[in-house]
Amino acid sequence: MVGLSVGEKHFIRGGIAQDLRADGRRRLQFRAISVETGVIPQANGSARVRLGATEVIASVKAELGKPSILHPDKGKVSIFVDCSPTAAPMFEGRGSEEFSAELSVALQRCLLGGKSGAGAAIDLSSLIVVDGKVCWDLYIDGLVVSSDGNLLDALAAAIKVALSDTGIPKVNVSLSAATDEEPEVDVSDEEFLQFDTSSVPVIVTLTKVGKHYIVDATSEEESQMSSAVSVSVNRHGQICGLTKRGGAGLDPSVVFDMISVAKHVGQQFISVLDSEIAAAEAAE
Amino acid sequence: MEYVNLLTGFRVDGRRPNEMRQLKGEVGVVARADGSALFEMGNTRVIAAVYGPREVQNKGQQVNSKEALVRCEYRMADFSTGDRRRKPKGDRRSTEISLVIRQTMEASILTHLMPRSQIDIFVQVLQADAGTRAACINAATLALADAGIPMRDIVTSCSAGYLCSTPLLDLNYIEDSAGGPDVTVGILAKMDKVTLLQVTKYHELLLIAASFRTPLVLSSIHTNSITTILHTMCSLVKHFSCHLYPEGHCFL
Repeated sequence: MVGLSVGEKHFIRGGIAQDLRADGRRRLQFRAISVETGVIPQANGSARVRLGATEVIASVKAELGKPSILHPDKGKVSIFVDCSPTAAPMFEGRGSEEFSAELSVALQRCLLGGKSGAGAAIDLSSLIVVDGKVCWDLYIDGLVVSSDGNLLDALAAAIKVALSDTGIPKVNVSLSAATDEEPEVDVSDEEFLQFDTSSVPVIVTLTKVGKHYIVDATSEEESQMSSAVSVSVNRHGQICGLTKRGGAGLDPSVVFDMISVAKHVGQQFISVLDSEIAAAEAAE
Repeated sequence: MEYVNLLTGFRVDGRRPNEMRQLKGEVGVVARADGSALFEMGNTRVIAAVYGPREVQNKGQQVNSKEALVRCEYRMADFSTGDRRRKPKGDRRSTEISLVIRQTMEASILTHLMPRSQIDIFVQVLQADAGTRAACINAATLALADAGIPMRDIVTSCSAGYLCSTPLLDLNYIEDSAGGPDVTVGILAKMDKVTLLQVTKYHELLLIAASFRTPLVLSSIHTNSITTILHTMCSLVKHFSCHLYPEGHCFL
């Protein structure tokens, strides 16, 4: 919970109206981002992303599983988010469940596409090992370690970086004579396949405070918001998902305006993120 | 399995029996917490955050209004273990460890100086490679020092076990899952007092001629070397309780 005095609230709102926010940023400016890969050695891929005082960790683990009967030619991906109580005392015990579920669902909506797997940011057919028998199950776990607003954008960025860090072991399958038997699978521990993460979108959340909207809001700014629209944008400027939060209603024309701004800001964010990924991989 | 090489005397990960894993600590990792620390013992990595002293949030939990209420929650990340699994929150193991950490830290915090207030300690395991209990206690100590909370002394903790007729310090996951007896010791560093002692498979230890004494002494000696490291770390911490409480309740 953020406790602000009347003066502080006025200062934050006034700053946003004048395009000079409390921390010196402009309305459509992100905080400094820092990216680190390979932070969880036990995972297939992992990343830590810091956006100002917000810090999240994403990990990708791959396990061999069975494809669903409805989609025998596709692997499975699931996203779970957990908010650690270290980030805020309100996440203690079961306090984080509702919020974590909200974040998980928003990320699933933006990254995983429809139920059939069509439109997913990750090519699900690349996860298949043997059609209808063996596939990779990707478990993407997000953990919020420190929270200072804009968790959704930070989590999406962390997942994008973690996916680009992910190596899926190469698998050799020896098909037995009887087709209904379980195929023998030999998982290589030397050769890894990399993902094509170029189409994985980022999320840009536009938070409406007063008459204006801002990107990358801090907790203090979020406490003053009337509503927020999270737009996920990929490299080609396509919109992959959209979520609106907050109680107040928005004029449809504002929504369209927000989408075009988010598209523009998102592409800038992707290029910043790409250079950060390259720097993190070079450092590793 | 051979946990200690008979010829060289080295362990599976190349350590000597009385050698600790590499330690690393960092304070101030969670910007919005009052105090926070990251602590690593080899591949075990935990984050601790302290909120408080602040007003008691739930008055029903306050038992004694003359002393601060200390609370603790231990949580493991879904990705912290080798095989991924989602565990329900507040399972028995987590509850037990939360309790152990709370009791250990309560023993060192000068709770009578902060009446009608509450201190929350949250520990989050990022990677579990055995010895999370000890790592959490060390991290919690650092975080409390970072928050400037007055303490009697620094609590340091370490585990030790007994495999292949050899007492081994600071077990890793392979050694921990070997099923031998092990102890976790928490020590008030300057006062040289044991505040935490947990022994599993005590009967096996009693049967072993070397007895329970060796691993205990071993881990108590080596918590002292953790102490040195924590002291160096704490001297970097900006808020000294000495400044806050000049009448001699100093933790360094």
